[in-house]
Amino acid sequence: MSLALGGHPAYTLKMDTTQADRMPAGGPFALFRFLGLVIFGALIGIMAALCAVGFVAAVLWLNDILLISPRSRMMFAHPGILVATTIAVPAVGGVIVGLLHRQIPEHRPHTPADVIAAVQTRHGRLPARAGTLSALSGLISLGAGASVGQYGPLVHMGATLGSLGARLLRLGRSDDNITIACGVAAAIATAFNAPLAGIVFAHEVVLRHYALRAFAPVAAAAIVGHVIATGVLERGALFHVSGTTVPQPWEFAAFVVIGGLGALVAGAYMHAILGVGRLAGRLPLHPVMRPAVAGALLGLTALWVPDILGMGQETLRFATIAGAFGSIELVVVLSLKLAATALCLGMGFGGGVFSPALVIGTLFGALCGTIVGELSGAPPDTFVFYAVCGMVAVTAPVIGAPLTSLLIVFELTGSYVLTTAALASVTLASPISAQLFGRSLFDIQLSVRGLDLSAGRGRAVLREAPVRLYLTQNCVTLPPDIDITAAVTSLSHAGHGEAHLVDSRNRYHGSVSLADLEAAREDGHGQHPVSECAITNRPILGPDTSVWEAMAQMQDFTGEAIAVIDDATDDTFLGVVYEASIARAYLQHSDELRREEHGTG
Amino acid sequence: MAQVERYFAVALALLLAALSPTATSNEPEDGLTVLSWGGAYERAQQLALFAPFSEATGKVVRVERYNGGLDGLRHAIESGEVPWDVIDMTRSDALAACDEGLLQPLSPTLVDSAPDGTPPEQDFIDGAFDRCSITHTVFATVVAYRRDAFPGKRPTSIGDLFDQQRFPGPRALQRTPEVNLEWALLSYRVPREELYGLLSTQRGLRLALKRLDSLDNIHWWEAGDVPPRLLAEGEVVMASGYNGRFFDAIVNRNLPIEILWDGQVQEHETWVVPQGAPHPELARNFIRFATTTERLAALASRIPYGPARHSAAMQVTTHPDNGMDMRLHIPTHPLNAERAVTKDDDWYARTYQRIRERFDEWLSP
Repeated sequence: MSLALGGHPAYTLKMDTTQADRMPAGGPFALFRFLGLVIFGALIGIMAALCAVGFVAAVLWLNDILLISPRSRMMFAHPGILVATTIAVPAVGGVIVGLLHRQIPEHRPHTPADVIAAVQTRHGRLPARAGTLSALSGLISLGAGASVGQYGPLVHMGATLGSLGARLLRLGRSDDNITIACGVAAAIATAFNAPLAGIVFAHEVVLRHYALRAFAPVAAAAIVGHVIATGVLERGALFHVSGTTVPQPWEFAAFVVIGGLGALVAGAYMHAILGVGRLAGRLPLHPVMRPAVAGALLGLTALWVPDILGMGQETLRFATIAGAFGSIELVVVLSLKLAATALCLGMGFGGGVFSPALVIGTLFGALCGTIVGELSGAPPDTFVFYAVCGMVAVTAPVIGAPLTSLLIVFELTGSYVLTTAALASVTLASPISAQLFGRSLFDIQLSVRGLDLSAGRGRAVLREAPVRLYLTQNCVTLPPDIDITAAVTSLSHAGHGEAHLVDSRNRYHGSVSLADLEAAREDGHGQHPVSECAITNRPILGPDTSVWEAMAQMQDFTGEAIAVIDDATDDTFLGVVYEASIARAYLQHSDELRREEHGTG
Repeated sequence: MAQVERYFAVALALLLAALSPTATSNEPEDGLTVLSWGGAYERAQQLALFAPFSEATGKVVRVERYNGGLDGLRHAIESGEVPWDVIDMTRSDALAACDEGLLQPLSPTLVDSAPDGTPPEQDFIDGAFDRCSITHTVFATVVAYRRDAFPGKRPTSIGDLFDQQRFPGPRALQRTPEVNLEWALLSYRVPREELYGLLSTQRGLRLALKRLDSLDNIHWWEAGDVPPRLLAEGEVVMASGYNGRFFDAIVNRNLPIEILWDGQVQEHETWVVPQGAPHPELARNFIRFATTTERLAALASRIPYGPARHSAAMQVTTHPDNGMDMRLHIPTHPLNAERAVTKDDDWYARTYQRIRERFDEWLSP
């Protein structure tokens, strides 16, 4: 689609709408191209899945050689050295992570929030260098035992691969978004060995719309990830449920309540992470040293409660076993895990928020199950249901993905009963958390950074599209001291109804309309300088003004075009944006979104 | 005829050798001396491995007997008089012995390819090749129960070992932390892949011992022939034990017992060559011979231990004497191995002492 910079605005507007209306629905070429995209999605899936497998294996390997995993700690026979490494490994890991982050322009690791921002604002370009450094930072953080998650780095890694692939093939923005979603879906499908969850996660969290056009490539990527995971990663299901236990009807009420309370736990978790992040900025501590301090504190606490170290797979497992923890112990471990994760992420370790949320949620569910057991006299046979409900109630709000969380439960357990119990829990958890805190931790982080996705993608896209793309110098500029008669002559000859007053130093002094000038001339002011007729209260735009803001300005504006002035360089006149261009930009973006979200191929 | 005569001669020589084990180490002849486990296992090895080896090479095979462990080997190496050329050793012992420098390195290239040309690395099960040892068979510790003890029902999962409400009666367990801890934790329905990670935490050990605590009336056994006897005498209704011993009791003594394969703990049995072995070259020849697909299948047809080669497992058929279909009785058969645990030899090699102390502490009131 041509931008027709400087073309006749009214004409282009007409062109665009008719073009959109005439878009062909299919045809052999479109089908061929679409199939190509599906195959490309599968290729991205292979890459992302292999990277995910490598990443997971590398984390496990690091955990073993760095004496983080319980197995390696048990096999290590020198208690004194073990105490030292427990503190030193996360601390040194923190220093390395801190140094790595200095190499990233934003001085922080990129996360799924950056992926969401890229897709939602249709910028779609995820920098390869920052992506690689972020993956490395996640790997070292996880390897050194920081209390962070592995799925965030995996999702970002998959997305970066997808974006890179789109760039190599020079695909357009819509396709770029799809390849990013492919990478994300493959990473989740591989890491959880849950292809449906991968597909839904890519739609629910990253794309945030459902289009057949995106579905097929994303599904292809997820299936590839699943196949690779089945062949390579061998591990037990996250939860085991015996076939015979079915919860009592009243227990579903308990699951709903767990959901409501879980939303509060999720809120506490998200705000703890954000809060520590804010506090860390005020600490009199060099940013490189922040993760190191967090790591040392974590290691020190882990000497007392080793459950908080690392991703906490063992803790997660124990939390599904009735009687593995006492209720006081559950509260202590839950609080410490929450605090440890907030400390690690807030102080600048790289890594995800999902795995710790899994652990915290499951501990919370176990706590609820234990309390129910104490009230009813015996630990319930359905203890694992409580654990899973708590897990879903905390994780779904944190990542803003209720359906994904349910599907993870379903695909990992294969238990329909368990999934319905989780559904009961998530019914309250997600809306309560969305009302109180926000759609997800990612959305909260983005809104802190100035990207508000609460009103959906349309606004976000227009807010991110700068008006300077529609800037044109195809307008009449006049020196402010020229007389009105001369101004009328030059305007009439140029065929424009407006002129903009720009002095010899290229500074803007307002705009004049042909009608006003004619009226002034009729009144006999023909020899007066044109600046007397200048309309000074007209809105002006800056070069970074977004299309969204420009549209807001347009509401109180009558005229042909708005002047674009660079405030930073002393009111330098840059050109104008025609009212029609802004309308065209709006229509063009809406049209692209519509085709992306409702197109089939 | 000549072959048969030779066979008898070899058998006679073996018998003599077995009867006078002290004499053999002093004789400087060029026969092969093997250290193995005795009993039904050694009888099967005689027929499937040792006799055919003598037949093929003309070398006499002498067999000595031990009950595992490394003390004898350490002592022999210290004294400078190592009487054995080849030792039949559990993998965990072999790993420890190799670390201590008691064994000669063994290259995986030593063994032959499968008859269809499959290279050994693909044909052998995972973890079969270590620096100083080559796995030849897989044996299992399993639970067996009296068929007549629980009318109308039978145990189906390892959790039933700890369910004395549904399956009442005394149990017999080996007086070691091994296998018991694994089963105790499995009864909480944890996935077997995570077993040793969970046992590495204080919480995991506590949970496992708590489960063992919940059992009333445990008979602790140490020698492998005790559990079939306790079951036979009706002293216990469920017992842990080696699958070969239970097979022997079922087939040869017709005892009314059944093996519960769920949660079986598999271990590798390996061939090793000790440092200072008198005939190391002959020892390697023997290992090559004894690990061929044909010989492994022959051994598994006489005693139900799983061959370490996939190609051999495919060839296991019926017991040559009693016609039993041996495939159904070896631990690695897909039906039996569905929920098998592979004992983490590395983990035990490093933690055994501490785990043992913890276990003994729990055991003593």
